[in-house]
Amino acid sequence: MTRMSVRLFGAAVFAIAALYTLQSQQYLITFGDVLGPSVFPVIVGIPMMILSASLVVFPTGDVAWPGRDRLWRQAAALAAFVGYTLVMEEVGFPIATAALIALIGFIMGGSPWRALALGAVFGPGLWALFDQVLGLPLDFLGTLFG
Amino acid sequence: MEVFSLIGNGFLIALTPLNIGLLLLGCFVGTLLGALPGLGPVNGVAVLIPLTFAFGFDPTSSLILLCAVYFGCMYGGRISSILLNIPGDEPAIMTTLDGYPMAVQGQAANALAISGVASFVGATIAVIGLSLFAPVLARAAIHFGPADYFALYILAFATIGGIAGVDPRKTLLSAAIGLMMATVGIDPISGVPRYTMDSFHLYDGIQPIIALVGLFAISEILLLLEKTAKDRPKAIKVDRWLPQWSAIWPTRWAMLRGSGIGFVAGVLPGAGASLGSFMAYVFEKQKSNKNGTFGKGDPRGVAAPEAGNNSAAGGALIPMLSLGVPGSGTTAVLLAMLISLNVQPGPLLFERQPDLVWGLVASLYLANIALLVLNLPMIGIFTRLMMTPTWALMPVVAAITFVGVYGISNSIFDLKLMVFFGVLGYILRKLDISLVPLVLGLLLGGDMERNLRRAMSISGGDWGILIASPISITLYALTIGFLALSVWLAVRDHKQTKAERLTEG
Repeated sequence: MTRMSVRLFGAAVFAIAALYTLQSQQYLITFGDVLGPSVFPVIVGIPMMILSASLVVFPTGDVAWPGRDRLWRQAAALAAFVGYTLVMEEVGFPIATAALIALIGFIMGGSPWRALALGAVFGPGLWALFDQVLGLPLDFLGTLFG
Repeated sequence: MEVFSLIGNGFLIALTPLNIGLLLLGCFVGTLLGALPGLGPVNGVAVLIPLTFAFGFDPTSSLILLCAVYFGCMYGGRISSILLNIPGDEPAIMTTLDGYPMAVQGQAANALAISGVASFVGATIAVIGLSLFAPVLARAAIHFGPADYFALYILAFATIGGIAGVDPRKTLLSAAIGLMMATVGIDPISGVPRYTMDSFHLYDGIQPIIALVGLFAISEILLLLEKTAKDRPKAIKVDRWLPQWSAIWPTRWAMLRGSGIGFVAGVLPGAGASLGSFMAYVFEKQKSNKNGTFGKGDPRGVAAPEAGNNSAAGGALIPMLSLGVPGSGTTAVLLAMLISLNVQPGPLLFERQPDLVWGLVASLYLANIALLVLNLPMIGIFTRLMMTPTWALMPVVAAITFVGVYGISNSIFDLKLMVFFGVLGYILRKLDISLVPLVLGLLLGGDMERNLRRAMSISGGDWGILIASPISITLYALTIGFLALSVWLAVRDHKQTKAERLTEG
């Protein structure tokens, strides 16, 4: 199992490198430039294919993936990050950030009320600090309310 | 001497109110980031870069702020090493070996003072070295042609992983992934858009800043979530903050030796602060461990690695500034900032922007004095702030990361890209693949390709130009020698332990 991850990674990188090298041939050499835009990707892509193939055949290192409960926490945190990028411009910076801080704080093991309090303080607090004090424009209400 | 007048001018720049303010802020934030377990110099600097960007500081001020943070981290890392037996950052691992036993024996104040003074000695020696050697190296590098630069970059990629431990194939693969990403965007020479997948967001290429914030900061949060949320041990109480001078003085030779070793380790490519402190400790132990006191609270075992880690941190700035080739993770991140601010480090930097170089050097002298004050009389503040629980700290750090990246160009796409790089960074770290070569590849890839194409244009398509100069031949020989050495070492200790992988400081 542990070596399998390295093999899978090697295979994925090999596929990407192969596509990358192949695609470079689409970039036609233009007049006046000796090497053109396609040679450097080949110089990178071919060693990359060799290296990743060798990792598939001779993997090294032991990879310990986290247990199921930890994976859930990571997935939840990731969902919070992605969710933030989706709703931030809609609901505005303070609300989105408060929610992000509260969620991550909770996922990291803070008690729900404390995490909420942390978000409630730092969401608007960071907005005030960056927008009002430091002059970095951040949307307060977002497109939904504003 | 010429150096003195240059440094004198540097002080004029460093002593403007804005730069002094940023310097003090950077020292404070850096010490705090270093002291907090879980946030090291790479993450700390990575989180702050987008902010300096968003605020539009000029390159000199940005660099002063971030180098102050970088130096501050090196000072702060020891605090939690000594009081909690948890290294505040990676280079401070060695300080736990003798620092914590000292604290247990009621010598916490002395251990903190010795390590504080050792940090000061190491960092100051490194800055003196920087003032003397960096211009010399830059002058030599003026003779480099495009083909020589191409060779230099190859050497940088081969050596960045360091010689300690990791499978060299993984390091090279990481560099190749970075180089691959560097080719995304409109090719500056021919104007052809490459690998943009028809997304106009990618026409400008992948911004190194966004990539590295994701790779380091976001992946760090994902990694933290794996660990059990156990209660941190209580910090050892420090009854008095005034150290005894008589405890510090006997460690002077350990400090000087550690500084020397650390400095050399810092200048060499692929080493960085972690290796500097490691080597300084091992050397000091071999030299002074006559009665078997090392590991049981020997003051010299605190002084040597702290001097070594700070000295290496300063030394690592030399290749970054004078050649444009960083030797460690944090200096790679600093390089990313400079390149993004349209400052091309390298030999010409010393000619074209002496204000930046010497302003920075002068600031680093001042930063050391500020840090000594912060870390001796004012250390009580940090020991209290250090106890902030992770669940309260990391969410705020994450939020600041998002603000900073969003602030660069008010783009949600940038945030998504950052999260993507966070996941990528997490996977790579799990697979034991260093992130530093990837960042370096992304940073230097464009320049590497330009130099290659320029060389080929000069020669009219003859590949022989790549090995036509003695400089490039020497560099390729060094590369081959280094790769041979690291392959040999990797094969020799196939079963390496985690403690040996000390390359990401």
